[in-house]
Amino acid sequence: MSIRLLALIPVAAAISLALSAAVDAVALPLFLDTTGTILATALAGPGVGIATGIVTSAVNTLRNPTFWPFVVVQIIVALYAWVAARAGLFRGFRTAVPAGLGLGVIASVTSTPISYLVFGCTTTGGIALTTALGRALGLPPLEACFFGSFVSDFGDKAVSFALVTSVLHALPRRTAARFPWALRAIGAA
Amino acid sequence: MSRLHPYTLLAIAGALPAFAWILPAPSGGTWTAAVALVLTLTPGESPGLTGTGASSGWRARLIVLRTAVVTAAPFWLFLLLLHDVPTTIAIGLRITTMVASFVWLVAALAPARLVEAMVASGWSASVAYLLAATLSAVPMLKARAQRIVEAQRCRGLSPRGGVAARMRALRALALPLVLSALHEVDERALALETRGLVPGIRRTPLAPPPDSAVERAARWVLLVACLFALVRRFTVPGVS
Amino acid sequence: MRSLLLDRASFWYPATESPTLRDVSLDVAQGEVVALVGALGAGASTLLLLAADLAPRVTGGRLAGSVARRDRSGIVLPTPWTQVSGMAFTVWDEIAFGPANLAWPAHEIARQVDRALEQLQLAPLASRDPATLSGGELQRVIIAAILAMDPGLVLFDEPAAELDADGAGILWRLIRLLAREGKAVLLATSALDALPDVADRVVWLEGGAIRAVGTPDLLADVATCDAGLGTSIATVWRAAGLPAPYPLTVAQAVRGWR
Repeated sequence: MSIRLLALIPVAAAISLALSAAVDAVALPLFLDTTGTILATALAGPGVGIATGIVTSAVNTLRNPTFWPFVVVQIIVALYAWVAARAGLFRGFRTAVPAGLGLGVIASVTSTPISYLVFGCTTTGGIALTTALGRALGLPPLEACFFGSFVSDFGDKAVSFALVTSVLHALPRRTAARFPWALRAIGAA
Repeated sequence: MSRLHPYTLLAIAGALPAFAWILPAPSGGTWTAAVALVLTLTPGESPGLTGTGASSGWRARLIVLRTAVVTAAPFWLFLLLLHDVPTTIAIGLRITTMVASFVWLVAALAPARLVEAMVASGWSASVAYLLAATLSAVPMLKARAQRIVEAQRCRGLSPRGGVAARMRALRALALPLVLSALHEVDERALALETRGLVPGIRRTPLAPPPDSAVERAARWVLLVACLFALVRRFTVPGVS
Repeated sequence: MRSLLLDRASFWYPATESPTLRDVSLDVAQGEVVALVGALGAGASTLLLLAADLAPRVTGGRLAGSVARRDRSGIVLPTPWTQVSGMAFTVWDEIAFGPANLAWPAHEIARQVDRALEQLQLAPLASRDPATLSGGELQRVIIAAILAMDPGLVLFDEPAAELDADGAGILWRLIRLLAREGKAVLLATSALDALPDVADRVVWLEGGAIRAVGTPDLLADVATCDAGLGTSIATVWRAAGLPAPYPLTVAQAVRGWR
């Protein structure tokens, strides 16, 4: 791995974490903690993306110790983003947003067992409350848990994909050309 | 506590939650949670990432304990909302163990010592760099995000308005942050290269933390104990 | 003994049509201080990256012509906060970062680091966290970090940009010291007033090509002053409508006035 890509990983991880903090300012119920992972994958491929996901989880865990089991989700996100980048799905919102929604489904399917087994569906207050809502609606426990994760993950991943698409298109050609996957991800190579 | 080798600290912080999950509830969870909470009272060395600098004085130590309790408390609340009492206690103790172990680890382990331990035990400089560099980069990017938020507020960004407006606001916030960070990646790469950080090099360790045979043995014992408990859990009938 | 030789070097950044450097030939000897001056975008930074073996190796792009260097080089870039290693939590460790990567033995590292601390007058800051330093202090730390690696060719890109007057003074004296020690120094700077005392030769870059080379007296020439690259006193003299030859330094102006 070249030094450039090595230098990208901490920056991409820090982007995820900084965005998670900044999203409060617009009062939207989003996490955006996989944005850096998706971006790193779209720029430099799955290896860099997975490394970014692991590093993001590690540092996130230092802030809140309950995040580390979800490193699995970050890795899945990186792999999905790689498939999306190969298919050039970042070429516009029309393709990126549905791809993000698809990731939302996959991410919640992956995180539900973790949430259920490790935390009894209380990963965050929001998830706990939506799970309670699901239970009240008559869903069995695991499905209610999925309902809880799904509601928050669905929109979150779509927004992350949309943001990464905007970033990729906003990169000057000269910079994008230096990242191995960037041009392919936006369907320009 | 903080004089222990970083790997020993990691081993303890990893073993306690592992035991909490493997050992039968609620007794298993109770003593691991108790141990973890007591650990949070032991002197930590680094100002580290909690910024407490808990190296002396009972007040400083109580801050670490308080952080652990405050982080774990909401889980108990939500567990009660969703589950019956025995399940709540079982899961709650496990989560408390995990939270307390990590909070203690963060207070006791200075990142610099961990980086040095990794370098000394043969990890390539690149891997050590990843963890350390992210820790340094996060506060800087957060501060930059804050500045962008404030700048945008001067231009009328506000958490009011419909979803579409807020999404546009989010984009106005995220794009400058990400683009400037990416631009810096190139500059950072140049600086790292000129300082000799080549992938795969073996650095000279500057201040390798001392390790002792006792600590190494203790780490192995912890690992074996975990595995033993795991095997026993799944093979001996009648153990829930 | 020549430390750096560029022979008709032209350089294109990736995906760029026009070259950033055209047909540049330049040599820097050991013990010599050469200064690059020019307008923004004239190519000085790129030339330094070429000299540092960072272009095209790390930046990508295409090089025509040749670049040959004799010694190990180190480059100090303009913005200090992007040059921080990210792996050091004290100033001492930050300076030791480079030597440690060179796998020097611990006592040698300690010697070089302590020497660099002293040269940049950083001893009081040795145990501070680099993230808490001001821009000027951090720039001095970065300079120390490069010098601790004992490069034979030292490259500076706008090193005084973040420094206050005292810091800049330390820097200029240090550069002369480096030359006396036998190192080759190539620097790009807009601090033109310091150059008469610091530089042995001045190279004027314009649009990626060398327009003129000479002693620091070049900075009092009519042409350079017309281009806005004269020393302050020469610029003022010219603006006041006083006749050429313009004085290079205040001392010369005083003599000329009398």
